[in-house]
Amino acid sequence: MGNSNIIAGDRKVVQSTRKHTGHPSKVSQKTFIVVPAYDEEKTVGRVLNHLIKRGYQVVVVDDGSSDNTYSIISKTRKDYPKQIFVCQHLINQGLGAALKTGMDCALNHGAEYMVTFDADCQHDPEDIKTMLIPFKKNQADVVLGVRNFDHMPLFKKMGNQIMNTLTFIFYREKVSDSQSGLRALNKKSARLLRLDYRGYGVSSEIIREIKNHKLKMVEVPIKTIYTDYSLSKGTNTSIGLEILFKMILDVFKRF
Amino acid sequence: MIYPYIAGLIALIGIILTIIRFREGRTSPRMLLFWIIIWIMVILISFFPQETTIFANIVGIGRGLDFILILGLIGCYYLIFKIYTMMERLESNITQLVREIAIKNEKIESLIEEIEISSSKKE
Repeated sequence: MGNSNIIAGDRKVVQSTRKHTGHPSKVSQKTFIVVPAYDEEKTVGRVLNHLIKRGYQVVVVDDGSSDNTYSIISKTRKDYPKQIFVCQHLINQGLGAALKTGMDCALNHGAEYMVTFDADCQHDPEDIKTMLIPFKKNQADVVLGVRNFDHMPLFKKMGNQIMNTLTFIFYREKVSDSQSGLRALNKKSARLLRLDYRGYGVSSEIIREIKNHKLKMVEVPIKTIYTDYSLSKGTNTSIGLEILFKMILDVFKRF
Repeated sequence: MIYPYIAGLIALIGIILTIIRFREGRTSPRMLLFWIIIWIMVILISFFPQETTIFANIVGIGRGLDFILILGLIGCYYLIFKIYTMMERLESNITQLVREIAIKNEKIESLIEEIEISSSKKE
């Protein structure tokens, strides 16, 4: 398939030429895509359709949305009852809690691999296949999607670099993109991760857990589609500060 | 001097309210004891403020009132900390509940669907 391994820093980066076949391989049949969605009525339908078309099984977690997100998800589920599983948080609990619910639900349905995928249309569904390659080769327990920081607007780029530095300072793990929403896990690591953060802090927490459990991690470059909509979502400065505060508290909890 | 009587009255109301809450089963025996001791201390201190100087001197703080104020402030901080940890615990309990409900509901829905599919196949 033209895959090549190159070393970036001290981490393996797998690159591949992509070809969309429409027929999922054995790996993707046991692969569940976990999509946490909070107030994403504009994009969630499109994201789900893209994933279903590619034959993936999808666990959508509606995190107590106040808009039409849930009804859109339900409608899509009626069309593809075998491919979509819907969990609904009755009250909004945050990204961390939604991811955890989605991962538990995927495990209940016998998932071997799962990929977390944002519902705001910022990821390219074609990247999922690339994310799964390290599993096929038994190289990884966790695969992190790395966004290209050069294509990022300046304020996002700075924010992400600060978060990477903070993740390194507090959790002693160097990663190229700690806040990426696209990540893949195998069954073993999904069971091992102990996630307590309810909000966006979960992204850094996953890195901490990878280090604590000595899981094999591989980073894979991914495409990010920036629209005004996807830019308005996600981590901003106040959320960043909140994550910092939680990280400091985490240090105290260790004693 | 009217202020000891006002403080005493407030403390008395405090004690009565605590006892009522205890009888309704909304306060644990430990909290009942804790609050009764606090309110009795308030009464004693407001009627015999000079006596606090004895304790203040033991700790090395000059005036009795300063000692009481510092003690009160520390007590308040402790309570805030207690409330903070309690809220954290409550929030994580709620999250656990919400997650469980979501997962259970999904399980039930999937099961119903399976049953519907298998019964439609039989027909």
